[in-house]
Amino acid sequence: MKKFTLSCLAIIISLIAGALILWLMGKDPVAAYMNLLQGSGLMQKVKYAGRQNMFTDFMSFIDAMTPMIFASLSVAIALRGGFFNIGVSGQMMIAGFTAHMLSLVVPSRILVIVVGVIAGALVGALIGWMRYRFNVNEVVSSIMLNSTIMYLVTFCINTFYVNPVSRQSKSIIESARLTISGFRWENLKLDIALAFPLAIITAMFLQWLIERTTYGYEMKAVGLSPKAAYYAGMKVNRISLITMTISGALAGLAGVSYFCGYYASIQPGTTPSMGFDAIAVSLLGGNNPIGCIFASFLITIISKGSVYMSSRQNIEPEIASLITAFILTFAACSAFLSRKGRK
Amino acid sequence: MIDMIIIDGLSFALPLFIMAVGGIYSEKSGITNLALEGFQGFGAFTGSVAVVYLTGIFGSTSNVPYYAGFIFAVIGGGLFALIHALLCIKFKADQVISGVVMNILAMAMTSFMTKSINASFFGNSANKFMLGASARITVPYLSDIPLAGAIFRDIYPFEILIVLLAVIMWYVLYKTKFGMRLRACGDNPHSVDAAGVNVYAVRTMAVFISGCLSGIAGMSFAYSISANFSPDIYLGYGYLSIAALIFGNWSILPSLAACLIFGFARSGGSAVINELGLPSSYNDLVRILPYVLTMLLLVFFSRHNHSPRALGHIYDKGQR
Repeated sequence: MKKFTLSCLAIIISLIAGALILWLMGKDPVAAYMNLLQGSGLMQKVKYAGRQNMFTDFMSFIDAMTPMIFASLSVAIALRGGFFNIGVSGQMMIAGFTAHMLSLVVPSRILVIVVGVIAGALVGALIGWMRYRFNVNEVVSSIMLNSTIMYLVTFCINTFYVNPVSRQSKSIIESARLTISGFRWENLKLDIALAFPLAIITAMFLQWLIERTTYGYEMKAVGLSPKAAYYAGMKVNRISLITMTISGALAGLAGVSYFCGYYASIQPGTTPSMGFDAIAVSLLGGNNPIGCIFASFLITIISKGSVYMSSRQNIEPEIASLITAFILTFAACSAFLSRKGRK
Repeated sequence: MIDMIIIDGLSFALPLFIMAVGGIYSEKSGITNLALEGFQGFGAFTGSVAVVYLTGIFGSTSNVPYYAGFIFAVIGGGLFALIHALLCIKFKADQVISGVVMNILAMAMTSFMTKSINASFFGNSANKFMLGASARITVPYLSDIPLAGAIFRDIYPFEILIVLLAVIMWYVLYKTKFGMRLRACGDNPHSVDAAGVNVYAVRTMAVFISGCLSGIAGMSFAYSISANFSPDIYLGYGYLSIAALIFGNWSILPSLAACLIFGFARSGGSAVINELGLPSSYNDLVRILPYVLTMLLLVFFSRHNHSPRALGHIYDKGQR
């Protein structure tokens, strides 16, 4: 419960800081924050374009939130097991790219998910393996892998998979895409995120895995103190490897639901910032799978709603990432506050 | 062609190197520094604002904005680094998390402020400040030496600045009392404390220095590779310099070697690709090299690699 209070505190302080900036720029903070909710489909907008209403906005909000849940779960489970997986971006990218490649051969949604999971899991396992076999710090190796994957995927896209008009990769075929875009229902056009139920089920499964199974107990023990776990007779190496594999697999799921769902193509030359934002989300959710769902919900309101806010209030959409960064900063400090509270 | 490789390689390697020196200062004092990327970007931002503002006053022919830009980059990078120091030292946040947070914060703050400043002062909605590439100088006589002369040909003024600074920084770290205390803070902070030195102050100073030096690097990149300041400055050069300092085993001269390898691999690779007539997208393949090299090195030699012993540990005075 203490963690919950601290997370709320971090959010409230950041929102106040954001409001202060908005106010200093001569905008109305309350109206701006209401625009965030309206943009996310949680409040009625003033007017809607044809075939759109609050429900369609909410559905595309869910679509944006799905990869964020997976990504934050990936960070959370790694942190619980004593790893800091800063390589979520790279794992997302390689998973998305391999899924794209496969969909050229076999356009199937199930296969896209399976391949994404495998690609992410392999990279995660590589990081875990290098840590216990060669004692390579996982933060350093995942940074190196991030850049390696980014340049590799960029090269592949630019040489044979580029869409010459948009300068992005080609789009994935609709029958393999994890988001049904423009689905006609009544007189509305909906974006349906097929992976969203999977995200919720995964979070619940992980909660069960961490709290109710032997593996979960051992994982937490290794995360808190590898030495103590070793002397208690646990197979630390194997447990670490499994943890990183699961984390990588989750990042892979994030990758496919991002690059083959929310977006249909891959932007070369940059890693998705979601991999880093996910760290904020995970910290905010107290590294707890269910907490991650709520934290993703909140952060997605800020990132998704900012587009509408910036057009209504005539303010730069970058304010969203600024508020997210504030939340992250205060969440990082809150570790200190909680430690202080315990002593 | 060889001339071009040397010229381009040096102008990329030296900013990388001064940033790595900053990283060494911070990590030698015991503070893990993944925030170099954010520091260089923030430094480049403050420097570019100064340049754009001063160019309006002094005119575009004056040299004042150029040098003032570097001074402001140092100040901006250093001040921003103090946030990292505050989080790591005062608030005892996890240093790795804090470093990542600093990068995100820097990116968010600078891209927001760049747009806001452009919108409110210059009336456009661009997300960049145009700087133009820096002028180059050629040292007379020395540049006439065959082959090695290329080192002195077409150099950016900031390269000279960086070399001078690096020498000073090397001296301070290895030959002065402050440098010795700084290195001791990274290995055994309790003994430093027992000797009556304030560990927190030394570490704060070290992080501040790393911010200052990264600011120079960021400004150099803004003035050479991209010729402007935009969020594109966060291309991962900060992470590359971390790779260089690990490659160099946390000491200054081997890190210089690593930076030169990275720089020449980059410029050499582009030259080869140019020569073979391959499309420029093959450059991305070359850019993988430093990262893979560092990873292989870590895999094979991490037993010989000695990070500072207290690196990443939160120093608590009351702890035993």
